[in-house]
Amino acid sequence: MDARRQQFEALALPHLDAAYNLARWLSRSPTDAEDIVQDAMLRAFRAFDGFRGGDIKPWLLAIVRNCWRNASADTRRRKHTALPEEHDEPLLSDEPSPEATVVEASEGRRLNEVIALLPNEFREVLILREMEDLSYREIADVTGVPIGTVMSRLARARALLKEKWLRDQT
Amino acid sequence: MSCPELLRTQAYLDGELDGIAAAEAERHIETCAECQQASADAAQLSDAIRSAVTLHRAPDALRARIGAILDEEAAPRVVPFKRRNFWYGALSGAGAMAAAAGIAFVLILPPSAETLAQSITDDHTAALTSGHLIQIASSSHHVVKPWFAGKVDVSPPTPDFPDQSFTLTGGRVDQVAGSKAAVVVYRHGRHVIDLFVWPDRGSVLPGNATRHGYHSIFWKSGDLNFAAVSDTERHELEKFVGLVRSTPE
Repeated sequence: MDARRQQFEALALPHLDAAYNLARWLSRSPTDAEDIVQDAMLRAFRAFDGFRGGDIKPWLLAIVRNCWRNASADTRRRKHTALPEEHDEPLLSDEPSPEATVVEASEGRRLNEVIALLPNEFREVLILREMEDLSYREIADVTGVPIGTVMSRLARARALLKEKWLRDQT
Repeated sequence: MSCPELLRTQAYLDGELDGIAAAEAERHIETCAECQQASADAAQLSDAIRSAVTLHRAPDALRARIGAILDEEAAPRVVPFKRRNFWYGALSGAGAMAAAAGIAFVLILPPSAETLAQSITDDHTAALTSGHLIQIASSSHHVVKPWFAGKVDVSPPTPDFPDQSFTLTGGRVDQVAGSKAAVVVYRHGRHVIDLFVWPDRGSVLPGNATRHGYHSIFWKSGDLNFAAVSDTERHELEKFVGLVRSTPE
């Protein structure tokens, strides 16, 4: 195997789960998520010479996010897709995925649904912060917005969750 | 209604503030009911997300497909070269036969052998990452070999080569091509070598392969199939295989 390939695999493949998790949460579809990640890994490999070192995870997740945006732009061109609305249909109940952490009880399921229904710009910052543990700087790099915007979107995302989920708890 | 310091409070809770700014934020939170509430909510939310929200893991099939795509991408020049040879061959009479035979070989031979190479590498990496690499840990072949009795249909060789720094480390039971396989685990420096041993039921073994940086070498001996898998250097793995094959049962 050539050195470039080897280096790419050593650096990038450990983040494949994170890439898939992000794609899955953004696209809300297991099949779309697979296509997005496959596309992203190929693009990342082709662009690998442009990777300037440092932590590869935000770089890779930025590519995943771009692939998702391209894919959803394609879908929108083909057919009009409605924005997520307020409703109680469980978006994530399409299949109980065996690889998923066991979500016990309805509380966890409800939280999953509420996150899945957040508007894109809030959902992505929340996933990157709470699930992938990225710093504000890294989230700003991945999403291509200033840090201040990351902070206000994150606050808004949490406020929305608080409104929709924490209030259910009490 | 909304505290102007809420974003700073959030940054503090997210661990984004350094010493002085963090101390200031802390002082503010002590005196601000709204920021205290926000802290409590954020903690509750974070806990809930960490404990209840689904973290999706990349399916194995996707992992394998990406490996194949990278294989193709990493060696783009091989394809036109092969094609050119094919057409040159096809233009000459005898060459056409050879080319046709070559195609038949590619088509008939081994999707199954190819999957076998892949599944063995996947088993190896899955065992490495899952922490279930070793079910019986021992450097004594008097312990490892009998451990397999009753668990698998084969009694694998478990030689130890400390002088060549291939040290017997333990064993586990894994699945290969639908059969239970004995996996004898070795260490070579910082690398792990898995030696898979399973009954030969006439299956076609793949050629030696490299997938995702892991080398695999396959062979048959008696009525057993063998595969050695590791991310160590290929010539080291070949040396290991040579040692195993030259050790009498």
